[in-house]
Amino acid sequence: MTGLFKTRLQRHLREMAKYLRLVFNDFFVFALLFFLGGLGLGYSNVLKQLHGHEWWAPLVALLVLTIVAQIGRLATLIEDADRVFLLPKERAMHAYLVAARRYSQVIAQATQVIAIFLLSPFLAVTLGWTVTPVLFLLITQVALKDTLLRLDLASAYQVTGQTRMNRWPVKWGLSLIVLACGLWLTPIVALVLAIVADVAVAIWFQRHWQTQQIRWREQIKIEDNRMLGIYRFFNMFTEVPMLSGTIKRRRYLDGLFQLIKPAHDQTYLYLFSRGMARGTEFSGLIVRLTVIGMLLLYFIRGEWLPVILAALFIYLIGFQLLPFFHQYDDIVFTHVYPVAGAQRLKSFVTLMTLILSVTAVLLWIVVVVANQQLLPAAVTLIVEVLEVWYLARIYTPQRLKRSAENRG
Amino acid sequence: MALEVSHVVGGYSQIPVLKDISFDVKDGELVGLIGLNGAGKSTTINHVIGLLTPHQGTITLNGVTIDQDSQAYKQQIAYIPETPVLYQELTLREHLEVTMMAYDLDHEKAWATAHKLLKTFRLDNKLDWFPANFSKGMKQKVMIVCAFLTPAKLFIIDEPFLGLDPLAVNDLLNLIEERKRQGASILMSTHVLDTAQRYCDRFVLLHDGQVKTEGTLSELQAALPEAGESLNDIYLSMTKVDRS
Repeated sequence: MTGLFKTRLQRHLREMAKYLRLVFNDFFVFALLFFLGGLGLGYSNVLKQLHGHEWWAPLVALLVLTIVAQIGRLATLIEDADRVFLLPKERAMHAYLVAARRYSQVIAQATQVIAIFLLSPFLAVTLGWTVTPVLFLLITQVALKDTLLRLDLASAYQVTGQTRMNRWPVKWGLSLIVLACGLWLTPIVALVLAIVADVAVAIWFQRHWQTQQIRWREQIKIEDNRMLGIYRFFNMFTEVPMLSGTIKRRRYLDGLFQLIKPAHDQTYLYLFSRGMARGTEFSGLIVRLTVIGMLLLYFIRGEWLPVILAALFIYLIGFQLLPFFHQYDDIVFTHVYPVAGAQRLKSFVTLMTLILSVTAVLLWIVVVVANQQLLPAAVTLIVEVLEVWYLARIYTPQRLKRSAENRG
Repeated sequence: MALEVSHVVGGYSQIPVLKDISFDVKDGELVGLIGLNGAGKSTTINHVIGLLTPHQGTITLNGVTIDQDSQAYKQQIAYIPETPVLYQELTLREHLEVTMMAYDLDHEKAWATAHKLLKTFRLDNKLDWFPANFSKGMKQKVMIVCAFLTPAKLFIIDEPFLGLDPLAVNDLLNLIEERKRQGASILMSTHVLDTAQRYCDRFVLLHDGQVKTEGTLSELQAALPEAGESLNDIYLSMTKVDRS
C-alpha cells in the first residue's frame, strides 16, 4: 500500500512539475523577484518604525501564526475508483494514509518554518525575543501542525461517528489556545501544550482506527476539491485540460446575443458566439490576456513600447482563438446541417473581428490614459486597426482553410 | 425513389467496411437496417449523411448526390444519432433555434411544431436547461425533437429504442407514422427486432459489410423458409450461417 502511494506520488509530482515549469517561466520569475523584493523592503521599513512594546504585536503574531498553521492540507491522492477497487483492502489503506500524511508534512512544515523565520525579526523588535524563545515557538508551531494533520488523518475514518474531528472550530481553537499561551505567557508552556496535544491525539487514534471504516466518499470529495484548487491556480497561468469542461450560463450576455438575428446565414455566429462566451476555456483566455495587457500598458510609457505591446497582445489573443473553429468538429451536426462550409468560416471571421476589436479598443483606451499624448495614441490606433483587419480577415481564413485541407 | 444507395464500397480508411452495398428507401417507407455489431450499419448511415465519402458507388437522394449540391442534399436529411450529441454551451431552446436557422425554417411555424413536440416528450418546462443537466433519455428526446422539427424528406434514425422510456418509444413510433403518411422516408437501424418487425415496411439485413438479404417480412420468410417465422429467427439464422 505504501508502494501504491509512492507510485501515485511520483505521478502527481511529475504532473505538478510540468505545471510549475509553465508557471515559473522567465517572465514570471522576474516579476516575482521584483514583487518579493518590494515586499521585503516594505517589511524592513515597517520594522524600523517600530519602537518595541506595541500592545498589538502579540495579536498580529497570533493571527499570522494561526492562519499559517492551517496551511498545508492532507494530500491523500485518493481517486474515485478507489472506493470500488480498494474497498476490500480497507485495513491496508491505513499504511497508505499514513504515507500520505508523511508526504503532506513536507510542504506543511516547510511553510511553518519559513513563517516563523520571517516573523522572527518582528518578534525580536516588538517583544524583545531572543533566539531561544523563537526556537521554542518554532517547535511549538511544528508540533501544532503535526497535530492538525493527525486530526485530518483521523477524520478520514469514522472515528467519532458522524462528527468530524477536523472541523474548523477545533483546528482554529486549538491553534489559538496553544499560540496565545506562547505569546502572552511563556513559549515553554505552549511547547509543552502542543506536544501533549500531539501525543494525545496520536495515542487515541492508534487505539481506535482499527475498528473504524474509512469515509470513502468524503475523502474522495476532499481530495477532488484539493486538486481542483491546485488546477484553478495553474489555470491562471496556463491551460489545464482537467478544467476545460466548465460552462457558465452568463445570463447577462443574453441581451448581446439577441443582436444576432436568427437567420440561416447566422447559424454559426449564433453557435460560436455562445460557445465562446459560455465555455470558460476561450473566454477566460481572452479576459486574462486583455486584463494583463491593460495592466501592463498602464504602467508602460514611451513612444513605441505601448504600440508594440498592444500589437503583441492582440496577436496573442487572435492566434490562440484559432483552434476554436474546430471546437464542434466532433459533433456530427456540424457536418449534417445544410450550411455551407464557407458560411461557417465567414461567421468565425466575424466573431474574431468582433472580439479583437473590443480588445483593441480597451487596450487603446489604456494607452491613451497612461500616456496622454497624441503620437502614441494615434500610432497605436492605426497599428491596431491594421492588425485586427489583417489577422481576422486575411490570416484567419487562409490558415483555417489550410488546416481544413490537412484534416481532409 | 427517395434514397438510392447503389454499389457503395466504403469505410473509415482505405480498407473497406462496406463491400458493394445496394438498397433503396422509397417515399413514405420505413426501412429497417438490421445487423450485428460491426456489420456496417453505422458506416452505412455515415455514408448516407455525408460524413464519409464512398470509395465507389453513389448515394442519391431524390435525384441529388452530395457532390452535385451538398446543401440541397443535406437539406433533405434529418439525423438522430445513436448516442445523443449536443452542444454543451447551448440550452435546449438554443438547440432548437440553431436547428431552425440551419435548415432555414420559418421560426413562427417551427416553434409551433416545436412546442407540440416538446409537450409530447415532456421537455416543455426544460427549455433553459443545459445538456449537462439532461439524463441520457432526455438527450435522446432532444435529438428527436430537433430532427422532427424539420420538414426533412429522409429521416435517419440510429438505434432509437434503447434508452427511451416505453412512452417515448410509442410517441416516436407515432411521429414516424405521421411523417410516413406525409411522404417522408425513414431509414432506421435497430437491434430491437420485435418492434422493427411490427413497424418497418421492409428490411435490409447487413452482414459483414454486405447486404445479406432484403425485402418485406414475407419476402424474407420466403427466401429463408427453414429459418422461422419472426424477424428474430431469420436474423439469428443469418448469423449462424457465418458462425458455422
